[in-house]
Amino acid sequence: MSVKIEVIEGGIPHQKIMIGGLVGTLVCLYLTYLNVLTNTEMFAFFGGLAMIIALIWGSHTIKVLCSYGIGTGVPSAGMIAFGSGVIAMLLDTKFGMAAPIVATVLAAVIGFILGYISNNILNMKIPAMVQALTEMAIVGALSLMGFAALITGGFTFAGLTTGEVSMLGLSISSTANSFIGGALIAVAFLLGAIAIQHPFNATLGPGWKQDRMLMLTAECGFLSMIAAAFMSFALISMEAAIISLVIAIIGWAYTYNQYICLSKRDAAAWLDAKPIPDVEGH
Amino acid sequence: MSAVAAKPQAGGAINPTAMAVGVVMLLIILGLCWYVSPGAGLMALVGVIVGGVLIGFGTHFVPVGGAPAAMGQAPGIATGVAMLAAGAGLAGLFGGAWAAEQGLLVATITGGVGGGLMMAITCMMVNFVYVFGMGIPAASGKVLNDPITGDSQKEFKSQGTEGHGLPFVSFVGGVIGGFLGGAGGTIIYLELLGLYETTLPATMNMLPAQVMPIAVAAAGIFAVGLFLVNAVLTAYNITGTIEGPHDPKFKRWPRAIVASAVASALCGFMAILIVAI
Repeated sequence: MSVKIEVIEGGIPHQKIMIGGLVGTLVCLYLTYLNVLTNTEMFAFFGGLAMIIALIWGSHTIKVLCSYGIGTGVPSAGMIAFGSGVIAMLLDTKFGMAAPIVATVLAAVIGFILGYISNNILNMKIPAMVQALTEMAIVGALSLMGFAALITGGFTFAGLTTGEVSMLGLSISSTANSFIGGALIAVAFLLGAIAIQHPFNATLGPGWKQDRMLMLTAECGFLSMIAAAFMSFALISMEAAIISLVIAIIGWAYTYNQYICLSKRDAAAWLDAKPIPDVEGH
Repeated sequence: MSAVAAKPQAGGAINPTAMAVGVVMLLIILGLCWYVSPGAGLMALVGVIVGGVLIGFGTHFVPVGGAPAAMGQAPGIATGVAMLAAGAGLAGLFGGAWAAEQGLLVATITGGVGGGLMMAITCMMVNFVYVFGMGIPAASGKVLNDPITGDSQKEFKSQGTEGHGLPFVSFVGGVIGGFLGGAGGTIIYLELLGLYETTLPATMNMLPAQVMPIAVAAAGIFAVGLFLVNAVLTAYNITGTIEGPHDPKFKRWPRAIVASAVASALCGFMAILIVAI
């Protein structure tokens, strides 16, 4: 029925990106568990790295899916990724230590059923649909979990729903000052959903290059990580939040520079125009 | 060429086997929910399914033009189905959440009015831009006469286009779609909020006042997630553009009802499990 228009030419095959993305995300998520072992919050930044690795995998999945003209625009793919991912992620936080593994399995089940619905009940008949929606639900769940680990230092339900408020020198427990209770999850949701759909939306076309798109994803991911690191000042210690922020800013500056270099490489011509031209003789 | 501009030829045919599998899946999920949480949980799940189906059905009314509409070559609002449905539904959801304490009926209607109002303003401003900005009249390409006003369309349609602007029937369809979507989103939010308010204090060993932020935020984010899933599935059903209730693609709604019901049941079941286990 539908015709695949763009093929992946060169670059890393999708299977490798998928396996690398899944393993890398899970390893980084579990590295945040060092927080519990060492009783600090210094390792929260691994959550941000997990989120960026998941986004890189997810943006390539979007490329695979949207190469078949689905007729609804690229952003809808990012929206369904996080819409199904947030549901799996919130349930998985109840499983404590096993949460990332359970998140992967549950999100895969949700994504698989959604893929079946769109391919068979809605008659889309796109070969990559089921696999792509399965992957994207996992990406959504894991990157939200990465955001949670980055902002709160952990990914358990108790840690995400309770925070502490210092008032007049007294420290009291409060549910409003937490990742879920403070609705920070809604901000994380959109930071991730925009970062996952933007790269392919911005780079698609005949001049599409894999490395340029993935570099743009990393850049969007670090940009989201900067915003999330600012939010983490409210919930984790000052030092841990500063570590996350510095890593995010360094990563963003590096990937942004790289992206500009790659854009110059792929551009037909490049003119370094100044914002305001120097006007002489007036 | 860009893959996104090419429309798939997914037909309007209904796949009976897949529909049957969908209904069986729906029943299995309902059974699982009855097993896990027979009383409040099952009632909440039914509410979530009703809300999801309202969103899926309502989205078919919304005139979606996509990229062709931005160039004045197709009728409708110049953006994608998912974005429009999410915009209308979330506007309704915020309206409904604001009235949550006034009871289910008042809050649902408030949510519907919020969504309908958002779509009415959007449709009106879109027509302002089309008529006064781009200088094109509103004309439908799918019907000869507007089904509501009876106005002739053919004379106003430019050659080589599928129509342009927002004819009256599309405007009305947009408002109906916004109303249904906003009401559906509000029902999902209210059902989950009610469930969390009653069950979270026991699961988390806290006072009802303490769990309130958790209940509101969790119900809200679940409602947003469910909304986006339903909106995107409906977008996949429409594949591209739709003019409103008079468009031939509107006849595809039975597929979307089954799809939305199964997807809402699945996601709603996950949302209920968070307090049931």
